[in-house]
Amino acid sequence: MIRLSVIAAFLPYNTLVVAAGVAAVGCAAGVIGTFGVLRKRALVGDAAAHATLVGVASALLLTGQRDLAVLLVGGLTSAMVAIVLLVLIRKFTRTRDDAAIAIVLSVSFGLGITLISGMVSRGIPGSGGLERFLLGHTASLTAHDAILLGAVSATSVLCIVVGLKEATMVAFDRDFAAAAGWPAATIDFVLIALVAVMVVVGLPAAGAVLVTALVVIPPAVARQWTERIVPMLVIAGTVGLVSSLLGVAISSVAVQIPTGPVVVLVATSFLIFSVFLAPCRGIVWRARATSLLPSACCEEKDAETTARVVTEQKL
Amino acid sequence: MVGNDSASEVHADAPMLEWHDLTVAYGRRPVLWNVDFEIPKPCLFGIIGPNGAGKSTLLKASLDLVQRAGGCVRFWGQPLAQVRSRIAYVPQRETVDWDFPVTVMDVVRMGATSKLGWFQRGGKRERELALHSLDRVGLADFSNRQIGKLSGGQQQRVFLARALAREAEIYLLDEPMAGVDAGSQEQIFNILATLRDQGKLIVAVHHDIRTAVEWFDAVALVDMRLVAAGPTAEILTPENLTMTYSGRLSVLDEIGEAVERGGRTS
Repeated sequence: MIRLSVIAAFLPYNTLVVAAGVAAVGCAAGVIGTFGVLRKRALVGDAAAHATLVGVASALLLTGQRDLAVLLVGGLTSAMVAIVLLVLIRKFTRTRDDAAIAIVLSVSFGLGITLISGMVSRGIPGSGGLERFLLGHTASLTAHDAILLGAVSATSVLCIVVGLKEATMVAFDRDFAAAAGWPAATIDFVLIALVAVMVVVGLPAAGAVLVTALVVIPPAVARQWTERIVPMLVIAGTVGLVSSLLGVAISSVAVQIPTGPVVVLVATSFLIFSVFLAPCRGIVWRARATSLLPSACCEEKDAETTARVVTEQKL
Repeated sequence: MVGNDSASEVHADAPMLEWHDLTVAYGRRPVLWNVDFEIPKPCLFGIIGPNGAGKSTLLKASLDLVQRAGGCVRFWGQPLAQVRSRIAYVPQRETVDWDFPVTVMDVVRMGATSKLGWFQRGGKRERELALHSLDRVGLADFSNRQIGKLSGGQQQRVFLARALAREAEIYLLDEPMAGVDAGSQEQIFNILATLRDQGKLIVAVHHDIRTAVEWFDAVALVDMRLVAAGPTAEILTPENLTMTYSGRLSVLDEIGEAVERGGRTS
């Protein structure tokens, strides 16, 4: 407690609230991203992220307001338009998925950049600083902004917590869920829409170019450490939280460094560590396991399982 | 999900499963044409035909997973929506990602919880039901294993256990023997035969004629259309098989092409 109050005394209230808000965004991005990655939608998320700029710029242009909520609603709108476009391209053309994603991503990003630079060069009020949405810059966030980001993040996580059964069933086997009468397509759409919400609230922290990393890297880290969905959600959330917190801290000390790259680098260091050292799936572990005993780790787990089942039956 | 099954007794005389003029098309190309037959009573029923004959599509169209261009499917004389909770589907094994972070138990529990309402996770009953289903397919010792760390035959049995946990009366299985070794095949067929003896209807898409003769009570030969359907011994004749397997580029393809051409010019 003493230590905490010492820290608080050195940091202004605003910085603390911003840090908490961005940490919530990182955590939620990890949780939501887990389903995005499991449904193999990382690239769709990336296209949506790049499309946010058009919406952010248009929102400013149309309303003349610089309010973060207004800009983010604009960003979410264009992100959803990009997702719907991808669905339509898949349905009505013979363009392959990866090409469709690349097209939507680059076209919408190009449009966004053109809009923003046009607005800046014409000196449209409030357009200065829009480029912060490109790479992320949390230092300019107000406490009010951070509370908004935190609230949206918390709501998104709540959606997953409440609908965990439905989300898992559809993400694992959409046809089985649909045959059982669940609106699988709608649930699937909600999952990707949540990814879109996360790339939008992640904009101030990581920027349009890098925000996908916030959604993709923490789940990739988490998958290295666990074979089950709930622990994966928890680990991904934690990794997202810590990465964005460190990102904010570092870029608040070195103000000239944008937050996004720092967040991504921190998250990536977690990933590298996990890819090499995680038990079972880690490279080092697997190399050792093959040299000593084939899949030793998993055999152990099974013996444990069997023992537990037996004892449970006895009870 | 929870369905209203109370009306089912009214249709006691209706066949368990019937298809009427079922037609399915992907785009303008028909893949199934006027399939029309019925399975009156519980049995072990095989849907047999060459690759691309529309066998899987027949199951998917019956479950509203692909759109029907025409015709209808009735279970106990009723549309699917009325009786979903009495039906279980086992998709092809390759359709899911086996690296998904779930255990054998998690997957089988999905069968039990898929019958509950929104946001209901299930409890002790669902867990026990799942354990019992796993026991029936001989995988009780594997309940905590991640599903990717199983053999093909074991994975197929996990899928079967998930269907069993739905406590259904009609089971629709898509290629349950694909990539399954002979020993596991026998094991799976035995489970299916036991189900049949308990009064369930099992409809399985299958490609191997030899094991089909051995196990199925009745079969339907399908090659984009229904070639023949009835008791296995009567249907799996050399004539019927030749018709099913050699008529690949037959009338139907020509019709399909004609429709496609007609659609473009008009």
